[in-house]
Amino acid sequence: MWLRLINIALGVWLMAASAVLGYRGAARTNDVIVGALAASFAIIAVSEATRAARWVVFVLGLWLMVAGWVLGFEWSATLNSTVVGLLLASFAFVRGRVDARFGGGWSALWKSNENQVHGEKI
Amino acid sequence: MNDDYTPLGWSYNPSDWSQRLPIVGLSLIGFGIALYLALYQWRVFETVWEPFFGDGSRTVLNSGVSRILPIPDAALGALSYLADAVTGIIGKRERWRTMPWIVILFGLLVGPLGAASILLVILQPVMFDAWCTLCLASALISVLMIGPALDEMLASLQHVKREWKQGRSLWNVLWKG
Repeated sequence: MWLRLINIALGVWLMAASAVLGYRGAARTNDVIVGALAASFAIIAVSEATRAARWVVFVLGLWLMVAGWVLGFEWSATLNSTVVGLLLASFAFVRGRVDARFGGGWSALWKSNENQVHGEKI
Repeated sequence: MNDDYTPLGWSYNPSDWSQRLPIVGLSLIGFGIALYLALYQWRVFETVWEPFFGDGSRTVLNSGVSRILPIPDAALGALSYLADAVTGIIGKRERWRTMPWIVILFGLLVGPLGAASILLVILQPVMFDAWCTLCLASALISVLMIGPALDEMLASLQHVKREWKQGRSLWNVLWKG
């Protein structure tokens, strides 16, 4: 829960960072897009049934760690996105507590089930 | 919480009113916000409330993108929220198995509405260099609804798959449960 909330805050910070730190161009566009996506998927990952959404945040974090060099951000934007990306990816990597049970979850939809009448493996 | 209505292998019933009413409440708040913004876009209201971003709301709500479709985008958002509320409220506490089609429709409506909201949030600063407070609030609401709505769709999909695997027609299971 806390890690998800921190990641939501990091996504929102990324959306606002260009205005606060005063950078524009590719860095601003990148951070606004990635920040909105990260905050949104971190919100979805708060729910236990859709905790898997954290993997989208994880990939976004990995991208941020290299984005500054790939797209050629100025120094302050590069430092910001690298640190934010590292934090996002690290927190998203942790699954956290899942107390509820969901009948095998989403993977039950494409995996075969032992207690089925036609139980052959797909 | 553990009664006859809890799906097989679940620790709770995702069709319980305690699960569904908060989502319906959120969609009604979203409907109110989107309706207000649509009424501004139709010029029923001459001004729009914007506490933080100066001309931001006016820029975003009068942009070309907001008028691509025959009706303003906020009106489309209001209709989507209304559809979410209706498909969220229909059916009893066992609707995940008695009417899978409405639960799946509910999930399919909530998902794309959230996706469209995220897209519109991204377009604001990238295309118009402006933010719109109530548009952001509406987007937040539609994203908040996604996780809580999808668990019920998962229960319905598992039910449909189980019945289908036992030889029933997919069509019948979807409509009659």
